[in-house]
Amino acid sequence: MLSMLPILVEITWKQWRRHRLRTLLTLLGIALGVSVLFAVRTANLTLLASLNVTIEKLAGKATLQIVGNEGGFPESVWETVKDTPGVYVAQPVIEVLGSTAYEDGGNLMIVGVDMLGDRELREYQFDEEGSEIADPLIALAQPDSILISRTFAERHQLKDGDKLPLYTAHGKKDFIVRGIFKPAGIGEVFDGQIAVMDVFNAQFIFGRGRNIDRIDLMNDKEVTVDELQKRLRERLPAGLDVTRPAARGQGIENAISAMSIGMTVASFIALLVGVFIIFNTFSISVNQRWKEIGILRALGVERGKVQGMFLLEAMLMGVVGSLIGVALGYILAIGAERVMSEIAAKVFSYVATQQPPVFRFDYALTSFVIGVAASVVGAVFPALAASRLNPILALHNIETRQRENVLGKGRIVAGVLLVMLGLGLIRFGPMRVGINFQFSYALLMLLGLIILLPKLSELTARVLRPVMDRLFGSVGVIAVDTMIQAPRRTSATVGALMIGLMFVFSMGAYVRSYQQTVSRWMDRMINSDLLISTSEMARSRTYHFSPELSGRIATLPGVISLENARILFVPYAGDSIGLVSLEMEGWFARVNDVVEDADAGVAREKMIAGDGILASRNFASRYGLKVGDSIRLETPTEPFERPIVGLLEDYTSEKGSIFMDRALYIKFWNDNAVDMIEVNLKPGVDAGTVKREIERLVKGEHRAFVYTNSEYKRWVMNLIDGFFVLNYMQMAIAIIIASLGIINCLLISVSERKRELGVLRAIGGLRSQIGRMIMLEAACIAIVGLVVGALAGILNTYFMVRTAATMIGGFIIPFRFPFEMVLIVLPVVLVISLAAAWWPARKAVRMPVIEAIGYE
Amino acid sequence: MIRLEKVSRDYGENKVVHALDHVDFEVSRGERVAVMGPSGSGKSTILNLVCGLDDPTAGKVIVDGVNLAALDDDARTRLRREKIGMIFQTFNLLPTMSAIENVSLPLRLNGLSKKEAELRAGAMLERVRLGSRLDHRPDEVSGGERQRIAIARALIFSPPVLLADEPTGNLDSSTGEEILALLDDLHRELNTTMLMVTHNEEAAAHCDRILRLRDGRVVGLTGAALPAGEGR
Repeated sequence: MLSMLPILVEITWKQWRRHRLRTLLTLLGIALGVSVLFAVRTANLTLLASLNVTIEKLAGKATLQIVGNEGGFPESVWETVKDTPGVYVAQPVIEVLGSTAYEDGGNLMIVGVDMLGDRELREYQFDEEGSEIADPLIALAQPDSILISRTFAERHQLKDGDKLPLYTAHGKKDFIVRGIFKPAGIGEVFDGQIAVMDVFNAQFIFGRGRNIDRIDLMNDKEVTVDELQKRLRERLPAGLDVTRPAARGQGIENAISAMSIGMTVASFIALLVGVFIIFNTFSISVNQRWKEIGILRALGVERGKVQGMFLLEAMLMGVVGSLIGVALGYILAIGAERVMSEIAAKVFSYVATQQPPVFRFDYALTSFVIGVAASVVGAVFPALAASRLNPILALHNIETRQRENVLGKGRIVAGVLLVMLGLGLIRFGPMRVGINFQFSYALLMLLGLIILLPKLSELTARVLRPVMDRLFGSVGVIAVDTMIQAPRRTSATVGALMIGLMFVFSMGAYVRSYQQTVSRWMDRMINSDLLISTSEMARSRTYHFSPELSGRIATLPGVISLENARILFVPYAGDSIGLVSLEMEGWFARVNDVVEDADAGVAREKMIAGDGILASRNFASRYGLKVGDSIRLETPTEPFERPIVGLLEDYTSEKGSIFMDRALYIKFWNDNAVDMIEVNLKPGVDAGTVKREIERLVKGEHRAFVYTNSEYKRWVMNLIDGFFVLNYMQMAIAIIIASLGIINCLLISVSERKRELGVLRAIGGLRSQIGRMIMLEAACIAIVGLVVGALAGILNTYFMVRTAATMIGGFIIPFRFPFEMVLIVLPVVLVISLAAAWWPARKAVRMPVIEAIGYE
Repeated sequence: MIRLEKVSRDYGENKVVHALDHVDFEVSRGERVAVMGPSGSGKSTILNLVCGLDDPTAGKVIVDGVNLAALDDDARTRLRREKIGMIFQTFNLLPTMSAIENVSLPLRLNGLSKKEAELRAGAMLERVRLGSRLDHRPDEVSGGERQRIAIARALIFSPPVLLADEPTGNLDSSTGEEILALLDDLHRELNTTMLMVTHNEEAAAHCDRILRLRDGRVVGLTGAALPAGEGR
């Protein structure tokens, strides 16, 4: 093979030069697939790096950090830490993602530190010029003081002594800017949207009681970090973690894992479409080079080398395409990271400090290798077909080409069996067998469908035939017949479309199913008349209401009762689960039939008495728990242990959630903050009127989002859309790649059929008929692609709502396939296909007939 | 039926190749003329001009009284479809279609329903003695049978003109003889005017006259020994 390498490369190069557009489109297909893969991985990594930079900058010189759960932990822990031998300096910290009360809103990261000792840990470079304050950190002792970054100051034209209005747990408050620090060190965090205030002021202002979020510390030189970590762990109460700042990134990585996994899977789908483009290109290339292969074989090139030549060509295409893909992916990663960091901030309240995309050589290499491998895989079957060509037949004319053997019974049986096996595993397969194994269920189905594709395309085309006859007459029929008569060519084109549409449909179906499930869940759980939330994302990790606000709302006319809810995430079994605490008596009075697997009356009594908890079904299934089992949580006070008195359907967290009475929560967590107020009105009272009353009450004081019941439900649906925004972007990319596939396939198809089309013209086919035929064929391909794409979408939706949803989200979502979506997508796909066919059709129409007929 | 008046056809811009140089000849209705000459003498160019696939650089090509230069592409295509049958050396059948589908194709392009088109195509295939091969694809039949399918397709409209480009060029001598005999039979039956490009003197002997070309010029036009319709 090596001795023949130069000549085989030369032949390949000549082919590329001769079919420049085809080569370009194929390369683009691979490049886009690889770019999405690389972009998602790079964006993910960049996001984690950006989040880690936030942690590092905020941590300053701290070698260890003590963190609890979201509610924080008592400040008394600080004393214990300071007294631990080996601690050089320890500083309490509160971190709040607050909101300014400016017209344009905007988040501001507010860090509460102890002004006296913090400069030993963190670098604050203050602007000396124009500052009248000798030491801004000392100035923070005044309760209305705040320090801001120069970036933020410039953005809002603030200078020393100016007022900065902020929403606090006690309403809107004006703070006085008493120092501006440079955009370096801590000033770089969150792109400069950062402010510093006294930790004890922050405790009060943001309703933290006597709790703090974190202690940052440095070890004495005599004691190693590991040793000090060990000492602190022995001394501190359970539920507090002593960790190196860098290790906190892992926790964040776990928290955003659902988002990352979803996107990685989607990026592989994009690559799969690329594989189809390669398959198609090579299938047709083999057909086109039929004679060349015959000549090579006749000249003594062995079967293996013919196969090798095509695989080598695919590899070269993979190499070039993947290199372009990696470069393109790096650029795409910038945009993807922005979207991801927005989701991370909105959904998970994690603040990223924008970083340039991280270039990881190993990621680039992996994406590159996957791209090359995908290209080679795509070319395996066509290469095999090329090597099996009979050289005598190959040297004959086009009429001698053998019938495409893709509709054999063996293939159909194999395809059906694979699909059935995939379905069976999804339905009956064990849940705890590992993510890679479970993804193989979907791959089995997909493989089965790919094998069945020629038959499915043929069947659909046969159904389409009379319709085309009726609508477009003989040209329409010839267009369909051309598809039926070349099942391999048709199915290669349809395949690219199928994969793209499968992704679109199943993603759409998944989002729709998820929305419907959440909607049904909300009908049972969310039935208060008004809901008031701290954040546009249902809850904020750092900004809460004080109970005093609910007290004032309760006195408004028309309000009959209200419940305060605190929603946070707490550590459990090495992970983080949702904890929902609310006033159970009121809650039970209004929810509909939410308790499952237990007597609702008994569960209610125990819950109100604080003798038990309700666990979400996904929590129970994730940790293998049932009603009666106890769960133990570490709290800032003492270990919490209660039995599960019932299960319920809940979508607060993909890791699972538990519900408990608010009094019980306050007792153990020492935290009376409120994230959401659910207001019940007297019968006949207009919710809109009370909503306006509440808005008047909070205006200028609190950053609060007031919703009526139906508004809230709509808003939750929009939130779900927001979460899936990146997936929608990937859907768009999948469609773009599939469109590229159609253009590529049609171009190749026209080029391959140059002689056929020439013959049609020679025997009396008008230019307009040929053009129309190509366009109609593209339309038929679109329709067939849509039908098989919908079928693949249905199967994949089944996988997503059962296996993927359980795997990623811990939920089983009822299967709903939005058939109307197929109808909505139809004109889109038709337009794309017709647009894709325009150039090939034009090319076909303009083709000189004499040259086409003489074409070999 | 076919008349070429001072027809020239040049190719290329810098180095001009004169494929045809002031060619004059006429073929009467029902007459069969063989066009002979070495490679590059302009034989195929004449066929391309007559069927309207190519335009002369100078001169007139008149088929059935119509000057092709006066027709636009669509009109020429219709003329080709309805009045001119074409047979190629390489058959030019569509490999994915069966015999009957190949033969019915021109009818379907003319708007006939598949059923009706295939009914007529079946009858035509019967006439070329391929009644048992209707559903066979080109790769499933012999070379001679492929050419018979091509002939059936060329004659499906019963065109007054048949153009044949080396119809036996790809066939062995006995199969070639069979095809020529078939063309003789069909000529007797339909009285088609035929222009046949060939290298083969035996094939040419089936025609009434032989037009000899060299370097794009007519170097001889021999009259037939037998009257039109009496093929040998």
